[in-house]
Amino acid sequence: MNAIKGSLILFIIGLFCHTASPKTKQEVLQEKVHQLMEWSNRRTVIQMGGSKFANYVKSKPRNYSVIVMFTALNPKRGCSVCQEASDEFTILANSYRFSPAYSNSLFFGVVDFDDGQDIFRTLGLNSAPAFIHFPAKGKRKAVDTYDIQRYGFHADNIAKWMAERTEIVVRIFRPPNYMGTVVLVLLFSLAGGLLYVRRNSLDFFYNKTFWGVLSIFIVLGMTSGQMWNHIRGPPYYHRNPQNGAIHYIHGSSQGQLVAETHLVMLINAAIVVGFALLSEVHNPEMEVSKRRVFAIGGLVMVVFFFSLLISVFRRKYQSYPYSLLIR
Amino acid sequence: MGRMAFLKMSADKQDTLLKMLVLAVCCILSFSVRLFSVLRFESVIHEFDPYFNYRTTRYLAEKGFYDFHNWFDDTAWYPLGRIIGGTIYPGLMVTAAAFYNVLHYFNITIDIRNMCVFLAPMFSSFTTIVTYHLTKQLSNSGAGLVAAAFMSVVPGYISRSVAGSYDNEGIAIFCMLFTYTLWIKSVKTGSVFWAVLCSVAYFYMVSSWGGYVFLINLIPIHVLACIVTGRYSHKIYVAYTTVYSVGTILSMQISFVGFQPVQTSEHMGALGVFGLCQIVSFINFLRARLSSAHFAILWQTMLYIVGTIFIGAVGFLTLSGKIAPWTGRFYSLLDPSYAKNNIPIIASVSEHQPTTWSSFYFDLQMLVFMFPVGLYVCFKNLKDYNLFIILYGVTSMYFAAVMVRLMLVLAPVMCILAGIGVNHVLTTYMKNLDSVAQKDKKGRTKSDNSYPMRNEVATGVVVMMTIFLSLFASHSVWVTSEAYSSPSIVLSARGGDGGRIIFDDFREAYYWLRHNTPENSKVMSWWDYGYQITAMANRTILVDNNTWNNTHISRVGQAMASTEDKAYEIMRELDVDYVLVIFGGLTGYSSDDINKFLWMVRIGGSTDRGAHIKESDYYTPSGEFRVDSEGSQVLQNCMMYKMCYYRFGQVYTEQNKPTGYDRVRNAEIGNKDFELDVLDEAYTTEHWIVRIYKVKDLDNRGNPRT
Repeated sequence: MNAIKGSLILFIIGLFCHTASPKTKQEVLQEKVHQLMEWSNRRTVIQMGGSKFANYVKSKPRNYSVIVMFTALNPKRGCSVCQEASDEFTILANSYRFSPAYSNSLFFGVVDFDDGQDIFRTLGLNSAPAFIHFPAKGKRKAVDTYDIQRYGFHADNIAKWMAERTEIVVRIFRPPNYMGTVVLVLLFSLAGGLLYVRRNSLDFFYNKTFWGVLSIFIVLGMTSGQMWNHIRGPPYYHRNPQNGAIHYIHGSSQGQLVAETHLVMLINAAIVVGFALLSEVHNPEMEVSKRRVFAIGGLVMVVFFFSLLISVFRRKYQSYPYSLLIR
Repeated sequence: MGRMAFLKMSADKQDTLLKMLVLAVCCILSFSVRLFSVLRFESVIHEFDPYFNYRTTRYLAEKGFYDFHNWFDDTAWYPLGRIIGGTIYPGLMVTAAAFYNVLHYFNITIDIRNMCVFLAPMFSSFTTIVTYHLTKQLSNSGAGLVAAAFMSVVPGYISRSVAGSYDNEGIAIFCMLFTYTLWIKSVKTGSVFWAVLCSVAYFYMVSSWGGYVFLINLIPIHVLACIVTGRYSHKIYVAYTTVYSVGTILSMQISFVGFQPVQTSEHMGALGVFGLCQIVSFINFLRARLSSAHFAILWQTMLYIVGTIFIGAVGFLTLSGKIAPWTGRFYSLLDPSYAKNNIPIIASVSEHQPTTWSSFYFDLQMLVFMFPVGLYVCFKNLKDYNLFIILYGVTSMYFAAVMVRLMLVLAPVMCILAGIGVNHVLTTYMKNLDSVAQKDKKGRTKSDNSYPMRNEVATGVVVMMTIFLSLFASHSVWVTSEAYSSPSIVLSARGGDGGRIIFDDFREAYYWLRHNTPENSKVMSWWDYGYQITAMANRTILVDNNTWNNTHISRVGQAMASTEDKAYEIMRELDVDYVLVIFGGLTGYSSDDINKFLWMVRIGGSTDRGAHIKESDYYTPSGEFRVDSEGSQVLQNCMMYKMCYYRFGQVYTEQNKPTGYDRVRNAEIGNKDFELDVLDEAYTTEHWIVRIYKVKDLDNRGNPRT
């Protein structure tokens, strides 16, 4: 009797185990996918903390892959590219969300450094942003980490990498940028309005001093490489990480720092002012006493600042053989 | 005796003689300063594109213009071929061939190659003279002389016009300044004669360089500025309408330009200003005839009607595709960050980089600050024609800052305005020197326009300017000699004993090909060397520097990046007989094919048939590109690697280093012992810079050899 009872219990337990274990796995999976779908319907990039990441990305079972961006968006972390990368990542996620390839086999997530420092530690990440693909099957390989250094974080490149890893091809759809048009319309209406309001006194428009100063300013800006700064965006100065020494002048002629271009602009402006003083000396309306000051001042300014310009150039171009006054 | 004759001349004649002397010296100087490379090496054509120009010029001189115009070149882009006559600006070739024929008519039997080598220096002498005339129109002849002197040695212009750099820009700057001179002349006189001459000069400009677009936009901007500032006159009307209509019709005769002047957006500004001129003149006419009340009514109705029609027409034409959208290159000028974000191929070319302040200083030296001084002088004394030079200066300033290549367009206006500036300073203070001297004789009675130490200051200024100018001259010559005088087809290096070593491997290889291979053999190389091979070796090539067919280039890239058996299939498919690679590992020549190899991989993998080629396979797991034993196995077994390093593993290159030490990559190569299955080494030049391989034929049973 006891034996029968025992075997029955065993049988029941066995039955229970037999039926329950695959069912729960299935259920857990279904529940997970369901939960993820719900989240991603609300926001295409799912915000993940430590527990969420552990439950939905790290732990098996999984029949879906996840692409996670590891980032540090908090402004006090001082990660300037993170925001840009995050925007691109969101564009990719949204393109996927509204593409025909959208299904429950791929999700996008984001882990912020401030929410999950331990995740960063366990994955051995020491820089942000990073994109990692967690495949549905098999182990994560080296190529599952997106190489930002080489490809940049342009959404098209991430999509190409994604297509390689998950075989889901997404065409990137960018929300059209109306910013430029709006600014242009605003500018035009401002200018038009200004002209309309002041239509009876358009003298400033014919004022040649205004135009003269403007064009000389443009020329000084361009010759000092402000356009280069605009396109390349160099730092203002350079701090040597070893000894903390601060450099204001870039050591080679291939590059430049913002500080140095401002210096050059000032030097050029000073030389031009010097020449202007020299030529104003012969303006008949000027007092005689001022003339000598202007003439000598102009002369000294021109010579001094030109020597300075050459010496700044020599700092960049070590083999330059010429110098004047200052070495 | 001669001196006596000089003194006997009237002041006018002395003046003319002096000016001519100065100009002649400037011309000789501008010619001779560009000869460094000829003196150091020999009279050779430089770099890559000039070789194509040289070859087409030779064809033109031998076969005549009609054959040239209808030329279908079957030795390039095998098996596709390329139409040459209709796809180039012919001005340069026609100019050189014309000089060649004229000289031969007078039995001066100059070689066509020498004609090509010396064309750019010759035209820069002409440019010097034109600069003088343009500046004289704008200011006075003194400024003209200074500007001409600047122009003869300014490095920004020399960089594109040294002897041997036989390219469009060499004559285009002359054409541009010549057109400007005639334009100023026609604005000043308002005569149809000068305006027609100006459009003929414009035609020459269009025929020689794509940069004519700058010119056809600058002239309308000048007219527009004149209209806006109320300087519009009949003179400008006559000049502009003539130049625009005649010039446009003439420019459409160049088959490469075709209907662009009436279709593309780059040219629409000129058309718009042309229409505006008619309207403004018509309004002026009506205003003279009607009472002011009537005129006001008419004015408003017309404004609305014309505005609506204009916007509608532009919208319709743009939507229906009649007006081509602006090309990417043009966009990248207007919005500097456009190229960086959207067109990597434009952004990757070093000529299209923005300009640092140091390269402004390097190319223009004291002009950088004399230019604003000249602007200041021009603004103080504003005229219709001064407005032109100001607009030219400011717009080209912007373009030069965006793209370092356009420094060339900026350099002339820098010289002109700096010439005006220097002339202004010098004339005011030179006068002081004279008058003081005169006053000394009179006993210092007058003091109206004077101040203490006037003479000393004047001396100081003149001495300072002299020092500045001589510094500019020595700077320019130094820059020319250091930076702009290497032909890049012949290389030179300092040897261990301080002597100069010449590497003439390129020509050695090309001449070997010319003399030792069948005439119809097809040579495969990376596209950089295409023009040189066709011009010097006279053999058929697969791809060249005119990169018009990306898939074809990609196919070559795939062959270079594949393993031997795959590459053999591609080479059989393309019917290749010889393969040529550039290798710098023995000499330390760094711009060789291994350093360019990643571009071959990228371009090779960019098309469908090359989808199996992935850039990441050629890196180490840590993402480095290495040729030593730690480098990627895919790299060490690809065709390019094997062709470059074949037999290199047995060679000692540097002391205290193992065999097979690559002096460019500074590494001992990883794969030393291998044989080539599908290739035979045909020729390797003295310093191993060029290596040529022959593709083996199928074996006797018709099977491939792998």
